Amino acid sequence: MDLDRQHTVKQLLLLVILVGVLQACHKGFLDAKPSTNLEVPTTLNDFQAILDNTTVFGLVPTLGEASADNYFFTYPYWLTLDTREKNAYVWAVDIFQGQGGQQDWNTPYQQVFYANVVLDGLGSKPGPDSVAQWNALEGAALFLRAFAFYNIAQVFAPAYDTSLLNVPLGIPLRLHADINPPSSRSTIGQTYQQIIQDLDSAEFFLPSGEPNAYRNRPVRIAAQAMLARVYLSMRSYSQARAYADSALLAYSALIDYNTLDTTMGEPISLLNAETLYQASFLSGAVGSTPYLLALAGGFYPSTRIDTGLMQSYDPNDLRRVIYYNYKPPDLSDLKGSYANSFVPFGGLATDELYLIRAEGAARAKDAISAMADIDTLLSKRWRTGTFPGYIVGSWQEALDTVLLERRKELAFRGLRWTDLRRLNAEGANDTLIRNLNGTLYTLAPNSDLYVLPIPPDVISLSTIAQNVRD
Amino acid sequence: MRTPNLAVFLLCVCLIKCRIVFAQGGVLISLSERNASLEKVLQDIRDQTGFAYYGEGGWPEIARPVSFSFKNVTLEQLLDLCFRDQPLVYKLDIPNRTINVFLRPRQERVINGIIQDENLEPIGGANIIAPGDASAISKDDGQFALHTYYSDPRLFVTSIGFESQVVAMPPDGQKLVLTLKSKVGEMKEAEVVHTGYQTMKDNAATGSFDFVDNDLLNRRVSTNIMDRIDGVTSSVLFNKNVVLGTNQSTITVRGRSTIYGNPNPLVVVDNFPYPGDLNNINPADVESITILKDAAAAAIWGAFSGNGVIVITTRKGRLNQAPKISFNSSVTTGWKPNLYYQPILSSSDYIDIEEYLFQQGYYSPSLPVPNGPALTPVVELLGQVANGTLDSADGYAQINALRKVDTRKDLDRYFYQHSLNSQYALNVSGGGTQDQYYLSAGYDQNQANLVRNEYDRVTLTGKNSYQVIPSKLELTTGFAFTASSTYLNNPAGSDVIYPYAQLADAQGNALPVAYQLRLPYVDTVGGGQLLDWHYRPLQELRNADNKLTLTDYRIDIGLRYAIVKGLDARIYYQFGRGDSDLVYYYSPQTWFARNLINEYTQNNGGVFSFPVPRGGILDETMNTYTANNVRAQLNYNDSLFKHGRLNMIGGAEVRDIEGSDRTNWLYGYNPGMGSSVPVDYVDLFQQYTSGAYQQIPYGDAKIGTSERYLSYYTNAEYTYFGRYMVSGSVRRDESNLLGVRGNQKGVPLWSAGLGWELSREKFYHLDQLPYLKLRVTDGYNGNIDRSVSAYTTASINTAPNRYNAVFSNIVNPPNPDLRWERVHIVNAGLDFATAGNRLGGSLEYYIKSGIDLIGLSPVDPTTGVSVFQGNTANMQDHGVDLTLHTDNDLGKVHWNSVVLFSYVLDRVTKYNEKLADVGYYLSSSTINPLAGKPLYSVYALRWEGLDPDSGNPQGLLNGKISRDYGSILGSDNFHDLVYKGPVNPPVFGSWRNSFYWKQWGLSANILYKFGYVFRRNSIFYYLVYTGASQGSPDYEKRWQHPGDEQHTNVPSMTYPGVANRDEFYQNSTVLIEKGDNIRLQDVQLSYDWTKKAHARLPVQLIHLYVYGNNLGILWKANHAGIDPDYVTGMPLPRTLAVGVRVDY
Repeated sequence: MDLDRQHTVKQLLLLVILVGVLQACHKGFLDAKPSTNLEVPTTLNDFQAILDNTTVFGLVPTLGEASADNYFFTYPYWLTLDTREKNAYVWAVDIFQGQGGQQDWNTPYQQVFYANVVLDGLGSKPGPDSVAQWNALEGAALFLRAFAFYNIAQVFAPAYDTSLLNVPLGIPLRLHADINPPSSRSTIGQTYQQIIQDLDSAEFFLPSGEPNAYRNRPVRIAAQAMLARVYLSMRSYSQARAYADSALLAYSALIDYNTLDTTMGEPISLLNAETLYQASFLSGAVGSTPYLLALAGGFYPSTRIDTGLMQSYDPNDLRRVIYYNYKPPDLSDLKGSYANSFVPFGGLATDELYLIRAEGAARAKDAISAMADIDTLLSKRWRTGTFPGYIVGSWQEALDTVLLERRKELAFRGLRWTDLRRLNAEGANDTLIRNLNGTLYTLAPNSDLYVLPIPPDVISLSTIAQNVRD
Repeated sequence: MRTPNLAVFLLCVCLIKCRIVFAQGGVLISLSERNASLEKVLQDIRDQTGFAYYGEGGWPEIARPVSFSFKNVTLEQLLDLCFRDQPLVYKLDIPNRTINVFLRPRQERVINGIIQDENLEPIGGANIIAPGDASAISKDDGQFALHTYYSDPRLFVTSIGFESQVVAMPPDGQKLVLTLKSKVGEMKEAEVVHTGYQTMKDNAATGSFDFVDNDLLNRRVSTNIMDRIDGVTSSVLFNKNVVLGTNQSTITVRGRSTIYGNPNPLVVVDNFPYPGDLNNINPADVESITILKDAAAAAIWGAFSGNGVIVITTRKGRLNQAPKISFNSSVTTGWKPNLYYQPILSSSDYIDIEEYLFQQGYYSPSLPVPNGPALTPVVELLGQVANGTLDSADGYAQINALRKVDTRKDLDRYFYQHSLNSQYALNVSGGGTQDQYYLSAGYDQNQANLVRNEYDRVTLTGKNSYQVIPSKLELTTGFAFTASSTYLNNPAGSDVIYPYAQLADAQGNALPVAYQLRLPYVDTVGGGQLLDWHYRPLQELRNADNKLTLTDYRIDIGLRYAIVKGLDARIYYQFGRGDSDLVYYYSPQTWFARNLINEYTQNNGGVFSFPVPRGGILDETMNTYTANNVRAQLNYNDSLFKHGRLNMIGGAEVRDIEGSDRTNWLYGYNPGMGSSVPVDYVDLFQQYTSGAYQQIPYGDAKIGTSERYLSYYTNAEYTYFGRYMVSGSVRRDESNLLGVRGNQKGVPLWSAGLGWELSREKFYHLDQLPYLKLRVTDGYNGNIDRSVSAYTTASINTAPNRYNAVFSNIVNPPNPDLRWERVHIVNAGLDFATAGNRLGGSLEYYIKSGIDLIGLSPVDPTTGVSVFQGNTANMQDHGVDLTLHTDNDLGKVHWNSVVLFSYVLDRVTKYNEKLADVGYYLSSSTINPLAGKPLYSVYALRWEGLDPDSGNPQGLLNGKISRDYGSILGSDNFHDLVYKGPVNPPVFGSWRNSFYWKQWGLSANILYKFGYVFRRNSIFYYLVYTGASQGSPDYEKRWQHPGDEQHTNVPSMTYPGVANRDEFYQNSTVLIEKGDNIRLQDVQLSYDWTKKAHARLPVQLIHLYVYGNNLGILWKANHAGIDPDYVTGMPLPRTLAVGVRVDY
């Protein structure tokens, strides 16, 4: 019996050893990927693939443009619209009427999440061989996060104003991918500080050079262009001018519209010379709720261009037939955009930089510089040799010209809403009016309604305070 | 039962001895004692003979009482008898007239042996008793080792279900081989159940098992093994109305306890989970199936066991058996399916609707577009009449002729046939004293009831076990090979919606139908430069060349080494590999190839080019799995402490299943040469009909998968006094689930159980119920959801982005709190049998709770994620399983009957996501759990009759009658949503009766399902208008005039069609029907010729059988003519099989 016991002990020992061996080798064994198309992103190429997701990135909210004054709907068409589009059109106090899943909020925050996954994953120490790629990824992720934060802030937070710096009506600033911590609103100062900080770092990390075959991957000029746009929205005109200038110094190409085929539905190519960062309006049925089909181009013949805006284009101005299907007197509608699609463009392009630099110059009372940029731009927009050139008598006149040309050049680029908020703060005193079957709706300058309500599902699932709209 | 035998034996011994004594002469005694103590007997002897007795201290206490009645026997004879079975011996001192009593001298011997039944199957759990001394219990392999100290020459061997035997002790060193005769009419036959890790007698178990033996498996004739357990196992439900995309399993064991996790029971074939297609297993090679239902039974499978475990044990040879050959063959023929089962609009009604739509101008936008989507022949004719190209009388004559055409006639004639399945199976089995073997070959040839669809299967298996060192080291090897071909040439329909399509002319030539493109367009398009663009369903059927080839094999190696008595070590290894190759070859004659070639044909100013080459197209999908399983295990099965017996296992196993899925497309494929032509996948080509630009479809992809597991487990059962049972198990599983945190890769799961065989207690006196056992178990099973991960997981998108760069989607946000799903099962059971086993059965009640189930929860979208998949849901099932069987002799007829009754209803107890409106819960094609209701539930909208003025349906919106269908469907008032019942039957079971008379056997099985509901289809005008639905004869009952609302619920026909109006009607309570039904599933009739009855028979047995299946519904609750098992599709046709089994 004792011998047997010893034997048993030996056998048991063997089994224990076997199990131990299994345990020792199982680390590698259990680390195999369950499927070749799935992975926990760890390599730089994995992160590049996340940032290359153009179904998530490169999409901008449309609620601002929908609330702005570049277009109008006929009453019968307005009647067929979705509740939210109807409400946004007439600046109703409650736009969503209980309906959640709003892509205007969700998609930019999804961009923030994707960018945060990359930023969290990249860590701080790149290998010596991969510094360039690491820098490009770090810079791109920061740029994309800032781009999303800025877009959200233009719709759901009050316009930047030094008097509001400590008011907690900024947007939630999620800086890590972990979804567990609750969201809370930052102050307006924090919101813009974060955007500028991200863009400053992006400018540092992003590679220099001209826009390349990947217009979804930002280069340094794109970060500078974005900084110019952000500072402009903050009414920090000298900084806006400086960043626009840096960018244009590095890259200043413009498309000569005379080279475009105006008969085509989409005359401007995807890899056109001006686009620095490609983005377009949120469109179609994103998620479960169809989104602003009218503006996003789903039924674009029904989105009529504001008559005054349309009339402001000279017959020799090619933008009239490249941006629009020109059907006088007030039946014109949208045509292909810089996104090479009937979906409007929402990215960054050099033409905007000329206008920012011009506005900065005008506001710095440098009318000559301002008008030089306008001339450069418009000579590429009018039929060759037809642009007569502006003659201005004062910097105020120059500024008015720049602002008029800004609206004409950058219509349906997702910029008008921000401009309205900014220019009204500067004292433009623009009142917007909609006429539906004889009923007039108005939006007073600097109204609370310039800040759109936060979607109801966000409010109910978080502790975020709703915007006040009376 | 044991006592009378012993008495007879004693009597015989005594009679023999008496004769000898008479011959020798001597002192004779007559004495009679009844249950007297030995001391009393010695006192009586002293009184009669004067012989005094002396003994070592304390002997009377250990002596056993004796009973006898003898006249005139010698003193020695009497004493021999009295000291038999005593731990004492005597010495007769005649001179001193004393009897000295001593303790029996100790002399240790070990007796080894094996106990088997008449079939030479080992008997485990038999008691081998050396009277008054020692006892041993045989192991599962029948082996025992008895350590005895005394020299009593006899051994008593008893086992439940067998006649007891008394045998002489074998001479030293010789092995005892003993065959026990099974007792007829034994109380309760103990079944040997297999868990995949060990075998055990179910009467020693605490858990819940269901066992299907070989006879029951062979009762049914089928190609697939799973079909054979339908209706013969309690709590196993075959779900017939599984909707794709809703994560339903076709087989559920004890209901449902997961939402998005794996819903299928684990299938184990010979020790290891089987990852291949179950069709690869030939039922002829299956010995038995065990179903593990509760925690104690299934927890040994840990994280795989949450949905129950089905253990398939294949056949093997037997020790000491001459080669036995068995041959089984059957032919099954099936009726054609009933094409008229699904009610659709008659051709005439359909044409009426088309004419009505034509008058309303519905087709006006389509008619002027020659290259637009297909229009039906009637619409084309009406168009020609309207634009004057066809004479009106002529046109209407043609239309009226079409009213008499019914596509189903052509389908029935050209697409369907009687099915014919042939099965052949041959096996040889046997064994010597140290080896056993089983070899089999099977061939199945099935001709489906769809013309040109076939299935062939060849199976080969072999199993061998060999005692390398007798009773010390055993080697087992096995292989199983399956090759099958499935021909999938018949799409089971014509892809044509309109009911008057003519598929063939009178000579059987294929006719073109309107399909995708308009007939007048395809008649003329291309001016001879394009391939024929007509679509002829019958030609498609004849030209189809689609085949699935499966090859699957398994190799098993097992080693068992006996370490010491009761303890052995085992190592098992299984290698499995399966390849499937699905080839769709579209020859240049098929519409698929012609259409693609034509669409991509480029016309550059009259110069035609063909970017899709003019040739065949080959679409091939190859899937492969390779499985490696290794297990090391220790088994202990022997007595432990006095009266106790321990059956314990412990071990570790590694599983690795590597898969590869690959698809290939080849253009211009020439099957004769295997050649193909490269195509330009990059450039855009203008489509011939639409003018849009598209790339040539690209079909090449490859994905590799890897499933790896590492598990540790132990399971123990301790039986005390044969009536108290305690069981427990622990298992830990670890896997390569992507990114589950290291410390959560594994999940420990456990179970515990108690059993009490009440009827073995001394105080138990229920003679009517001689077998009664109570058992209760508690524990956790697990389930795996391979779609979630604790780490951020990205999935590479199959197509690149706009800039031709690969991009990925984040499919899983980081979830550090992720846990594996668990299923907590509490089971209480009662087993009983009446005397002679006339009535027996078991009753079980269980509560099954799914905990930490993966569910969807809404999350603040600011996080970047709006729906979160995490451990947020819970479910609970309550269930009852009742099995009753009765065995009766009615004169010469033997009748047995088995009633199975199962009740199980699940309820989602916690679910965080509630969708915005009631509309989401009406769809049956998505999973929409609602807390408090079964996972799969039928919901409906309240019905308030038809509007008497218009025939519009009316519903309820916020308590008020409403015809605002959009608002009713989009209401967020959940009071307007009516829960009608579960999709799957909560009550189901069967009643099987078998009769035996002489060599005849007759058996019939009746299945029933109760307590569930289904939604029947009615007319959906909107979809009929768009050509997406074939409608319903309810059309004839539609509201047409005021007053009709008194006797119909079918809304009036309106133009234009209003989708929401139809949607409301289709989802209203009036179309919900009860599913309850009783059906006669099958009948089997058999006749046996045995060698016993017919001495001249050249074989041992000829078993002839006739089997009818899917015989029909006996009763159903709904009056709509719908078989609730086939709400969509057609019921399985009846089949009739004739077969024979010959045993040599």
